[in-house]
Amino acid sequence: MVLPLIEKLPLVAQVKLRRFLRPPGAQKEALFLQNCIACGQCANVCPNQCIDLYGIEAGLENLGTPRITARAQACILCMACTQVCPTDALEKLEPTKEGKRAVQMGIAVLSEDLCYSFAGRTCGVCYRACPLPGEAMTIGLFEQPHVHAEHCIGCGLCEQACIKMPQAIRIIPRLELEETEATKAESS
Amino acid sequence: MKSGRLLLALSIISRVGVVTILCALALLTHYHNLKSAYNHPRLVELSSGKTARFAYEYTDKFLSLFGEPEVEARKSGGMTWSIRLAGVPFTDPVAALSVLAKNHRWELGFALGLIIPLSLAFIFGRVFCSYICPASLLFFTISRIRKLLSPIFYFPDLKMNRGFSWGILAGGLVMAVYFSHGIWIFILPYFAVGQTIYAGIASGTLSVALGSLILFSALDLFLGKQFTCRYVCPTGRLLGFIGRKSPITIQRDASTCLDSCQSCIDVCPMKVQPKYDESIDCSICGECLTVCPPQCLSIGLRKKPTSTQT
Repeated sequence: MVLPLIEKLPLVAQVKLRRFLRPPGAQKEALFLQNCIACGQCANVCPNQCIDLYGIEAGLENLGTPRITARAQACILCMACTQVCPTDALEKLEPTKEGKRAVQMGIAVLSEDLCYSFAGRTCGVCYRACPLPGEAMTIGLFEQPHVHAEHCIGCGLCEQACIKMPQAIRIIPRLELEETEATKAESS
Repeated sequence: MKSGRLLLALSIISRVGVVTILCALALLTHYHNLKSAYNHPRLVELSSGKTARFAYEYTDKFLSLFGEPEVEARKSGGMTWSIRLAGVPFTDPVAALSVLAKNHRWELGFALGLIIPLSLAFIFGRVFCSYICPASLLFFTISRIRKLLSPIFYFPDLKMNRGFSWGILAGGLVMAVYFSHGIWIFILPYFAVGQTIYAGIASGTLSVALGSLILFSALDLFLGKQFTCRYVCPTGRLLGFIGRKSPITIQRDASTCLDSCQSCIDVCPMKVQPKYDESIDCSICGECLTVCPPQCLSIGLRKKPTSTQT
């Protein structure tokens, strides 16, 4: 009788909330959680107010750690949070092109059936929002965006900018990419 | 008697100051946001005459006294757990232990932040508890409420072993290794206060930490005066342990002390017994100085231990 009640407690995340990104400079999820002491300094210094802190909804392991909801407010890569992190959970990066290229928050994935440009209506908003235009994203005919996964840093600016509702371009967070990689490695 | 009142007033003022600083740091988030948005002419136009704009402009003026406002503003931030004030980092010893237990290494700046809290504990003992801890201001208020209501209600005063908070420290470290460092939000009262203030002011949400804060307040109200400080808070116990031989502490003049008087033992929120020359866990709050009838207690340099103490 007691066990189902214990399972209901949000000690371990019931629903995997995977639509949230970690701030730039974050290491792999396991390493990040080892280092992050939930002090909230990254959220405090964020000029874009895109970082907020997890409550209990994603389990005790995420409690108080920072997250970014890209669709609501994406990271502008000012790197202020990486400069203030006291425990090196976020690696120190500079707000330059090189610093931006070192960020790995996730990878943008385009749904061509939702995208206006692929339906013949020229849009190109995501390309204009991209901090690494020409590298992470290129545009073709009718401003059709093409994401280059090897250069995409997953900041989420394209997802925030997308004028389609629901968004035609989404960021797959790094956590999810790591998990799919792990399952692929297991199966092969 | 006078010095006791002075210390008590000082402790209240400094703790109110700490709460104000925490609120100001949370408000700094909005300042950063306005600072990066302020160049937008439409925003400037919309915000004219509003309180936010006045606050922004005065913060800007204040910060530009020290240098480039944006750079200066970034030098401060955080909560009581790990805070930077004007570029100086402060690290909680429990946070350091937690990181050591989970990660087995310290970041240099993080370790340097330990210097000021640890040296404070070495010199003054548990002084953090009555001068800095924002949660103890709440518990102090609750102890006064208990005193006010004590003619009407019966409030028990539970006596427990002090080892209880060592157990909580160990349990918290195990939980931190198993889950993450975030669980200290529920365990440490001052972290809960910081989290509640930050979530309330910067994000405009209610933090889950408020729940544990309510629980701690209930413990204080129904189980004993400053019960949380004495038996729950691991930081207080750790700082008390570090400062058990602190050079500055409570002193008793044995020649004037009355044999039958127990007032200092009754009033002490930390249940220290100055009458028996016990000074471990003393947070120099000054409450005993205000009640001692012959005024035989004082704050000063610790005397050499006498031979009777062995």
